[in-house]
Amino acid sequence: MHEAIIEDVPITKRDIYYRDVNLYRAQQTVDNLVDDVAATLNLERSDLNVRATSKGTFCGSVLSIHLSTGEITQGTNSEPALIPVGEDVETFSVDDDLAWVLVVEKDAVFQTLCHLNVCNDPSLPGKGLLITGKGYPDMATRHLVKTLSDCLPSTIPIIALVDGDPYGLDIMSVYKFGSSRMRHENQKLAAGRIEWMGILSSELTGLGIDKDALIPITDHDQKKALSMLHRPTNIMPDSWKKELMHMLHNRRKAEIEILYDKPEPVLQSDSTRSLSHSQLKHFVFVAQALDG
Amino acid sequence: MSLAFLHAHDCSEAHADAVWGVSWTKNDTVVSISADGSIKQWVSASGESYLPPDQPEYTTPSPHTLGLVSLSVSADGQRALYNSLEGLTCLWNLETGKLEGTFESYMAQGEELEPSPHWTVSLSPSGTTYASAGGAGILEIHSAAPESFGRRLSSVFSGRNKFGMCCSYSPDSKRIALSSEIGQVSLLDVESNTFTTTYSSHAMSVRSVAWSSDGNLLLSASEDKRLSLYDVRVSSAKGGGAVASFSGHSSWVLSVDISSDGRLGLSGSADKSIKVWDIAARAAVTTVQDTGEVWSVSWRPRAPSAGSAGAFVSGGEDGVVKWWRGAGTGG
Repeated sequence: MHEAIIEDVPITKRDIYYRDVNLYRAQQTVDNLVDDVAATLNLERSDLNVRATSKGTFCGSVLSIHLSTGEITQGTNSEPALIPVGEDVETFSVDDDLAWVLVVEKDAVFQTLCHLNVCNDPSLPGKGLLITGKGYPDMATRHLVKTLSDCLPSTIPIIALVDGDPYGLDIMSVYKFGSSRMRHENQKLAAGRIEWMGILSSELTGLGIDKDALIPITDHDQKKALSMLHRPTNIMPDSWKKELMHMLHNRRKAEIEILYDKPEPVLQSDSTRSLSHSQLKHFVFVAQALDG
Repeated sequence: MSLAFLHAHDCSEAHADAVWGVSWTKNDTVVSISADGSIKQWVSASGESYLPPDQPEYTTPSPHTLGLVSLSVSADGQRALYNSLEGLTCLWNLETGKLEGTFESYMAQGEELEPSPHWTVSLSPSGTTYASAGGAGILEIHSAAPESFGRRLSSVFSGRNKFGMCCSYSPDSKRIALSSEIGQVSLLDVESNTFTTTYSSHAMSVRSVAWSSDGNLLLSASEDKRLSLYDVRVSSAKGGGAVASFSGHSSWVLSVDISSDGRLGLSGSADKSIKVWDIAARAAVTTVQDTGEVWSVSWRPRAPSAGSAGAFVSGGEDGVVKWWRGAGTGG
């Protein structure tokens, strides 16, 4: 890192790892060390000239990303585009007719929705933007979602679709409240406006999902859920707590894929922004029925 | 024979989340525990919150941060033992309103390296000890005396390292039943402190078991949608011991009880219904429809008057404690 700063040649955490695989043994070690050094010096990781790498992708012609090099990453409605790292981004540019933003946990679900042209579907209330962090989102993805959360009018819903298990909810938590490991960068990355659309354990019976189709929780899930239940209320809302407790009591979790093969969805009427939510849900169900 | 049960009334104020346990006490009150972390006591005749006369300061314990998953009321109706999702176990005196004991089973005790958090708890008929089980298939016995509440007295491995869903002392104190997440129901002989019997009638989680008042019969409720009846006096051959199986629910059976006269079984299910079973006839005699999963059911302990089918209480997903009474017998 010192070398990177002195010589002004940025490196990635991956580069650092590969310099001495035997010493570090795991990528995670390097990741942790870099973050710890940054936190200790009260700097951003980018100040240390350690570049992020990106894995998150988005889909939707409404978004174009202007890079500091002058290039433009233009989204399309049917093909994924890589979300560039935060330090390369000059501005995000969003069309006026953007109506909704959907963040999904898993790449497989993202791909399905993307190829089905969800972003430009006439049965939905307008053009959409689809984003996935492919699991726990990296900083570039969180940066994009945070920017959208801060800058889009509140009439445009930003919703998350994650698995109905502790890890899904933790990913949701990272987007909305920030990562527990990187509290010092949280101000930059918490997307306060993102709402949890599902999957909610509480709605599974209403969706006609047989309890036997649910997956038993593991010891890991149990420990993870109990530890999350002890988080302070400002990062563990009561409604989330309720879902986690029901998951533990039922001893079952649900993956998004459980919605596949469902015939007609039962629409939920309890959401305040239910029009676009239920239409989107409807679409997700129909899309998965067509695909599955 | 067919019986009709009518919805008599509800508790005066619903819990804020699902009711996960109910128990109709000898004093004709009902104790309920909820996912909202609270335990409450109700007067059965009216559904109003119970307030003993001359005790204006009587309160129920403050709600826990996490939901309550297991409830066991003493035979004399004096005390309620209850346990939270993470294993905080408490003993509440129903008469004085005072908390007589708390035990953090999720903390390693003494020389232990690993804590064994409780999931299910059951007060002994004498009230001096309680049984507990949790994730590892171990049945533990602890002191229930206020001065040593929670102190572990014994610990017996059931033979399978599987989640203990429900444990229950027999009314004659001779046995403790333990049911597991993979369907086994094991019996611990209290005097020798060893497991003497294991029934394998279910291959899916047994969420609840109930004893007949004479301690001879045990009824189990399973996620395989059935109830099994065991006669514990019959020594079990491998997988044997079940003398009857009750089918009819279309989803998990969550809770079960046997009437004090031993004639009627009662079950609550994830299929949102409650069934009353004629044990001798091995058949359901009535089905009552509820609005959500029925997590817990409990017969009125007092034997019904002649010609009446009795009464029971239920608690489920909507957070409402509901009383039901028999509408007289059929033909």
